[in-house]
Amino acid sequence: MKNPSRAKLVDYLLLVPGIGYIFVFITSTVAVTVLQSFGLFSVTGESHFTIENWKIIASKGVIDSLVFSLMLGVGSSVGTVLAAFPLALLLRKTSSWKRSLGSIIKIPLFIPALVATFLIVNLISYDGLVNEALLFLHIVNKPVRMLNDRWGIGVIVIQIWKNLPFVLLIISASIAGIRDDTIDAARNLGAGRLAVVWHIFIPLAMPGVLVAMILMFIRAFGDYPITSLEGPVYPSSIAVRMYTTATLYQQWDQAAVIGVIIIVTTLFVVAGYSKLAGIVTRE
Amino acid sequence: MSGLRLVNVSKSFGDYKAIDGIDLEVQDGEFITLLGPSGCGKTTTLRTIAGFYTPDSGEVYIKDRLVTTVPPNRRNAGMCFQSYALFPHMTVFDNVRFGLRMRRTPPKEQQRRVEEALAMVELEQLAGRKPSELSGGQQQRVALARAVVIEPDVLLFDEPLSNLDAKLRESVRVEIRSLQRRLGITSIYVTHDQAEALVISDRVVVMSRGKIEQIGDPFWVYDHPATSFVAGFIGLANIRRGTVTAADGTVVTVKSDFGDMTMHDEDLSIGSEVIFCFRPEDVIVSGSTGQNSVRGIIDQAIFMGNLTDLFVDVGGSLVRAQMRKGGNFKKGDPIELSIPADAFRILERDNGT
Repeated sequence: MKNPSRAKLVDYLLLVPGIGYIFVFITSTVAVTVLQSFGLFSVTGESHFTIENWKIIASKGVIDSLVFSLMLGVGSSVGTVLAAFPLALLLRKTSSWKRSLGSIIKIPLFIPALVATFLIVNLISYDGLVNEALLFLHIVNKPVRMLNDRWGIGVIVIQIWKNLPFVLLIISASIAGIRDDTIDAARNLGAGRLAVVWHIFIPLAMPGVLVAMILMFIRAFGDYPITSLEGPVYPSSIAVRMYTTATLYQQWDQAAVIGVIIIVTTLFVVAGYSKLAGIVTRE
Repeated sequence: MSGLRLVNVSKSFGDYKAIDGIDLEVQDGEFITLLGPSGCGKTTTLRTIAGFYTPDSGEVYIKDRLVTTVPPNRRNAGMCFQSYALFPHMTVFDNVRFGLRMRRTPPKEQQRRVEEALAMVELEQLAGRKPSELSGGQQQRVALARAVVIEPDVLLFDEPLSNLDAKLRESVRVEIRSLQRRLGITSIYVTHDQAEALVISDRVVVMSRGKIEQIGDPFWVYDHPATSFVAGFIGLANIRRGTVTAADGTVVTVKSDFGDMTMHDEDLSIGSEVIFCFRPEDVIVSGSTGQNSVRGIIDQAIFMGNLTDLFVDVGGSLVRAQMRKGGNFKKGDPIELSIPADAFRILERDNGT
């Protein structure tokens, strides 16, 4: 090492595979999307700086899609966590039947979202199994419309079905970190089962729960396959709108604007959750 | 009124009998230690009293109330855990208050009682801290305050000091004992540390393989071990077999592998097989009293400061003796030992019946 500056250069070069990857594939893609939204690096037309594309932010279609996707994101993350938490508690101590149940629950993990949607659409469509059963049992006298409903309940149900094992994994891990002694101590001091869940399990598993909610929100908010198959015709989810804007209307720059909106919204929500996590864990 | 009563309590885990027919009566306000090696059933017994295990058979009474199938949260038993088991997300104050909240004690009274309990363990200053910001000794004192603040009918300790260093262990056990005396709460204390058991308890319950071997006050259990297990587990003991060769009503002669020993016993008859023991510290070294004197050769001499531990080869049998302070002992030196007749305890006897 005679020449220190040259040694430095080699050091920097060694960092290229790592930092270079981050720079080229992550930073640059985000940057290009942002630049495209301002008319630069345009795919379709001439490139020049403009804020014209950003006008769609005020259009009813984009706002409705954004609100709808936010709703899907929050609904799916809350719904999945609400479904996974009791299951995680149930599966905390293993026994042979719980192990089998645990394996069955994991099945959706191996089924792609698109296939999962098909499966469930078959179940809940106008003349699907569920309606047939309801009719047969005379619970309803005409089929219930559950597919492509305005509020995306069907989408949320599929999201929960598809992502339950994934969220269960995260929450189970954080529940596994709670010592048996801690639970015994609470029982010993007079806490019934519900009080143990409320005062011990929920607060101590909260960091894991929030992580699960963030990841689940990002998945559901940016989801394309489920909402494109099972979502309502209007409003479409924000991801579906981005796709149609780019391919159907050939407005790549406007699609970039929607892309930026998706990224920024996600960042805001993540920041919000983190803030919440800070408050919850401080208590 | 009895503080606690176990009647023929048994509990198995699969094929493994963790406790087997435990009978125990504890006086109100008494401090009892369950002592034994790991796997002897002491912790199972404690957890059965706490309600974490339901016994397969038998009955548990706390203050004359039958609680065999009562869940732990309705037993009013305070417990201190080996791991302290403080709630990591709550402050010291909220940890101590937890039991009162569960009992829906009025908030003002909660405040007053928590403050009293924290004052009792001298931790008022740390009320706002989280458990992770406390030392092990402080955490165990919080656990103690948390257990006594609910005014439990019985206090249960599951090896509460085993995570503390030796010095701290001594001071905390004195603290536990004086607090228990002051509050007069019936206490059951589980430990595998015989010194701890002897120091802290009114009575010691020695357990082995799921059964009670002996119950008695510390001095009695040490001085009159009832079985070979107790003699070997508490303190040091030379345990030997022998055959009675002479008996005259109060004094018997027992032939053993290191000589004929005279000892006191009224029930043995000639020809009986016995197992007997004597403590190393009762052996008189290099000073014959004329009683039970044997000659041997030093096999090992270990100087331990306040005493010297000798292993003496007497006719091919190793006898352990301890004497206060040291002497100039060397391996291979000849030595004379004598064992007073009243130092012997008969542990097992076979009268040929």
